Amino acid sequence: MLLDFDKLGAWKWILSAICALMALFLLLPILFIVALSFGDSRWLIFPPPNWTLKWYHELFADPRWLAAAWTSARIALIVMVLSVALGLLASLALTRGTFKGRAVLRAFFLTPMVLPVVIIAVALYAAFLRLGLNGTLVGFVIAHLIVALPFSIITISGALETFDPSIEDAAILCGASPWEARFRVTLPAISHGLFSAAIFSFLISWDEVVLAIFMASPTLQTLPVKVWATLRQDLTPVIAAASTLLVGLTVILMIVAALIRKGKSR
Amino acid sequence: MLSYLSPARRGSGLGTALPALLLLLAFFVIPVAALLSRSVTEPELGLHNYKTLLGSATYLQIFLNTFMVSAVVTLVTVLIAFPVSWALAIMPPRLSSTIFAIILLSMWTNLLARTYAWMVLLQQTGLVNRILMSIGVTERPLQLTNNLVGVTIGMVYIMLPFMILPLYGVIRKIEPAVLQAAALCGASKTQALCRILLPLAAPGIASGALMVFVMSLGYFVTPALLGGTSNMMVAELIVQQVQSLVNWGMGGAAAFVLLVITLAIYALQLRLFEREAR
Repeated sequence: MLLDFDKLGAWKWILSAICALMALFLLLPILFIVALSFGDSRWLIFPPPNWTLKWYHELFADPRWLAAAWTSARIALIVMVLSVALGLLASLALTRGTFKGRAVLRAFFLTPMVLPVVIIAVALYAAFLRLGLNGTLVGFVIAHLIVALPFSIITISGALETFDPSIEDAAILCGASPWEARFRVTLPAISHGLFSAAIFSFLISWDEVVLAIFMASPTLQTLPVKVWATLRQDLTPVIAAASTLLVGLTVILMIVAALIRKGKSR
Repeated sequence: MLSYLSPARRGSGLGTALPALLLLLAFFVIPVAALLSRSVTEPELGLHNYKTLLGSATYLQIFLNTFMVSAVVTLVTVLIAFPVSWALAIMPPRLSSTIFAIILLSMWTNLLARTYAWMVLLQQTGLVNRILMSIGVTERPLQLTNNLVGVTIGMVYIMLPFMILPLYGVIRKIEPAVLQAAALCGASKTQALCRILLPLAAPGIASGALMVFVMSLGYFVTPALLGGTSNMMVAELIVQQVQSLVNWGMGGAAAFVLLVITLAIYALQLRLFEREAR
């Protein structure tokens, strides 16, 4: 009755209306920024009197935006590779290991995800001040790796749990060495999990603001730090242009992720 | 041959976890412990940072702001998320996958981009105020940014997906036959909703609500941008103490209080889940 959409009667329309309103609430602000980035009103009047590309010109004319984007991309790519590699190794231990305290170790690996990121940021800031890692690429990578790793571990252990280890044993019985079996049998079988972990890790690093604010220096900042610093001064439409490009990237990555999922279900 | 495959031959398997373990120890456990210890060692040994923190009206107001905003955000997201997840669980897949795509798009859109959208929408001359004035809700523009109203709206926007996704999972698992049985026994729709669907969805609501509440407590970006400096929340206090005032003792103390509350709520959530699993 209540769980049969067609037998809900009038309630069906109420639920559908709430759903539609919620979808609009989530979607409209994003479309609003996209529209704003093409509007020619510096004061963000909406709907804009005329359409223009000048905010994009301004964005690309400022080398600091491009430098920040390049920094973000480099950090996110390094974090992605390390997060998948460390996540895979840790997940192997968590799903295949026989040592005691696996549940505790798993919970420990996930703690950076549940703690307020501002605490991690301030703590790392203090540590990096002593180690001289503030404002360095290494500092950014370590900070982002700490928060990306839990997501990588969740995704990869999830994939490993659905993979039957006796297939690996079969490969070993057929003459493969244990590591060969892992590389040539297990890894291909969980490749969708590795890809998802890679996309998650990239996006987490690429979008991360709080840690980045503390790691940044005037000479080395990521895109979110640049947006943050600009936002604190004024609401210039250049940010709308930058945001629109970020939304575009998100859409592309979501499509890639959906295609991977489709490929997996086939 | 079998001994070759047995776990004993492969070792306990802890070894491959070591890189991640060492990374977290060096750059997570030790720095956080060091930060917290500074709350009792700086500027001198003792608990005076906590006395200042819990004894002053200004700081208590910040904790009160944090709890109020988090509670309201949690309540509003539950009220929106329950009907939405319910509908999503039973809708034709084509409709629900469109709505899921929108939810995921909003969730993965850059946090600053989303907050920027609300800063523009909610400002004095913004679209929300213009619409409110044109439909006669208000004559003069309402103050919607630089206060906790703006923070609450911005946070509801960000937290909604985190409530909808787990709640959807729980409602999806409820057996429709249970509700058919209720109908056969003569229960009205309202009765079935209040006495069967809501209680069955309660664990999902509770865990989603605890998660949203605890995430809101420690949130920094949205309160900092939409809240202005006069309506701080705890995360902003920590950053202000450390970054502007270079008062590591107070920053550490505020971080410790936030950490204890966060962990206590997670412990509560684990207990709830264990009882559910039994």
